[in-house]
Amino acid sequence: MSEGVNPSPKHPGFGLSFRNGRALRGGLIVAAFGLGILLATFYVSSPTAPRAISIALILIGVAVAAGFVPVRAPQDFYGGLALVILGTVAIVASAELPGQRGFAFGPGTAPRLFAGVLIGLGVAVTIVGVVTDGPAIEKYKIRGPLLVMIAILSFGAMIRPLGLIPATFLTYLISIFGSKEMRLVESVIAAAVMTVFCVLLFVYLLNLPFQLWPRF
Amino acid sequence: MSDLIANLALGFQVAANPYNLLFCMIGALVGTLVGVLPGVGSVATIAMLLPITFGLPPVGALIMLAGIYYGAQYGGSTTSVLVNIPGESSSVMTCLDGHQMAKEGRAGPALAIAAIGSFFAGCVATVLVAALGAPLTGLALLFGPAEYFSLMVLGLMFAVVLAKGSVLKAIAMVVMGLMLSMMGSDLETGAGRMTFDIPELADGIGFANVAMGVFGFAEIIRNLELPAGGRDILKTKISGLMPSRQDLIDSSGAIARGTLIGSLVGILPGGGAIIASFAAYSLEKKISKHPERFGRGAIEGVAAPESANNAAAQTAFIPLLTLGIPPNAVMALMVGAMTIHGIVPGPQVMTKQPDLFWGMIASMWLGNLALVVINLPLVGVWVSLLRVPYRLLFPSIIVFCCIGIYSINNAPFDVGIAAAFGVVGYWLAKHDFEPAPLLLGFVLGPLMEENLRRAMLIARGDATVFFTRPISGVLLSIAIILLILAALPTMRKRRDEVFVE
Repeated sequence: MSEGVNPSPKHPGFGLSFRNGRALRGGLIVAAFGLGILLATFYVSSPTAPRAISIALILIGVAVAAGFVPVRAPQDFYGGLALVILGTVAIVASAELPGQRGFAFGPGTAPRLFAGVLIGLGVAVTIVGVVTDGPAIEKYKIRGPLLVMIAILSFGAMIRPLGLIPATFLTYLISIFGSKEMRLVESVIAAAVMTVFCVLLFVYLLNLPFQLWPRF
Repeated sequence: MSDLIANLALGFQVAANPYNLLFCMIGALVGTLVGVLPGVGSVATIAMLLPITFGLPPVGALIMLAGIYYGAQYGGSTTSVLVNIPGESSSVMTCLDGHQMAKEGRAGPALAIAAIGSFFAGCVATVLVAALGAPLTGLALLFGPAEYFSLMVLGLMFAVVLAKGSVLKAIAMVVMGLMLSMMGSDLETGAGRMTFDIPELADGIGFANVAMGVFGFAEIIRNLELPAGGRDILKTKISGLMPSRQDLIDSSGAIARGTLIGSLVGILPGGGAIIASFAAYSLEKKISKHPERFGRGAIEGVAAPESANNAAAQTAFIPLLTLGIPPNAVMALMVGAMTIHGIVPGPQVMTKQPDLFWGMIASMWLGNLALVVINLPLVGVWVSLLRVPYRLLFPSIIVFCCIGIYSINNAPFDVGIAAAFGVVGYWLAKHDFEPAPLLLGFVLGPLMEENLRRAMLIARGDATVFFTRPISGVLLSIAIILLILAALPTMRKRRDEVFVE
């Protein structure tokens, strides 16, 4: 099903060996999620279905880690499993909501319905990942995503206590480290310019209620 | 007919109010400015700029949004031509010949013909929206909950069929969006659903946060991974801005045909602008006497898809204004904006707030006019903006997005949610999942649930009602046929060619 990608002739995710680091890591992550959901099911009242799925996830994860599963299209395989995990989490999270009564849907009906369909589709995507060839998952980079996330989250943390001007300035400076090409002096000047621009645009032009400086 | 003219006159009275004209102009300008940033398509642009309309009166806000919309759309075409980065899927076709023209130093004519074609398409489509709006509102009365539900299923199915890559994965994305949209308070009982006892989640996740995270932030993270040369902008010389007489003659037929196709296809729910631009481009290639010129800088190859996607973007308002159903992610944002101003989109807007309805339609035309007026002289400026190195551009986008998200609810928590969806978007890209169907599912989720619940209640729990009611049955059948066609391997191959070509 994963068309639009040229099937790579030999990709690294295929093989039955313990030494396959990717399968080991991927399998253990899946198993860990399964375990987490399994523990969570002990706190809800109707745990049968999610519990069964979480046990299945642990088994699949261990099997993958041990190299028993020929993962031919890792993008689809792990992507599908992640959808199953997400759907199961949703079922656990909405387990306490009342379901259908008579002809009327309860608050829990639709979330569980969609979560169930998502799990089904996740299983299908996973199976596609076993029966067809596909490209390996691109390597995850750490630096860019991490610094961008830190910058965004620190904006959230700073905007209330520090006000718009320091928050904008510092967020700009933090995020600039996300790229390897940063130059310090240039960045500080750009941050200052951007801060002035944002204050002019959002506060003076658009009249949005922002606090500009720290509250003392 | 006289009704139509009277209505349009009312609209222009509202829209031509100097303040509204100003809002429209500012919107088109800012929209172009942001839309021209590489990697920022019209969805992200509107999501970012949504907060700046909050302080305005409803009519002014919607008019400004319309300006932003056209601006963003045109900005996306500009990047397609200049740097071969389509701001969004509907300007993919523009890249093919537009960028070739730019390489030959003919970026000016390409940009100008895109603006002229868009303007012509906009004029025709505005009249069409005005003419079809009223009769289709009558159709809305035939729609009960079951029909609405089926129509939304059909819309989502279009989104699935048009997504690139696997049909199965696209459906999974739609369902994931539906499921995520269930978070927050239940509509009828007020029970908190999947809120994990976090009070900030009691109202669910804001659409703008998801959009900004999955499109804006994820895109930045992805771009940071590319080697420095890959994302830096070409320095193309622009020689001469205006198209020659021969260019105009060559492209006039293409513009007319593109407009026609775009207007028709745009009414369909679910990414009409993409099919429209593709269909228009293939038609031009097919009827051209020199098909080999396409892909090597043929001006018809810019004129046709640009006219088509603009016409489709315009007629996409028809389902929104008459049925209250957003046919694509941009329209979904418009729904969000309307709701913030206390307007519930749908047939009642036209009868209860005629000044708003017709004012907006008139403003569409003004927005297109503003685009031509603003953009033709500014092409040079856009190019210099693209010369800002990415290392300075991306922190600016981040800061802009953060302030935008925060200002929607004055909630720092929302910024965190958007960051989380940035990671989700990054993960989706790594696994070759498309974010657009997710977003559409997320928007339609609450509406679908509401109508599903009502329909089931009215039918006393009988699920066959979706097939036994005629309109609903037809809509669902079309959806199923679409699904079968999309899943057929032959069709799949052809879809690939569409996006790879």
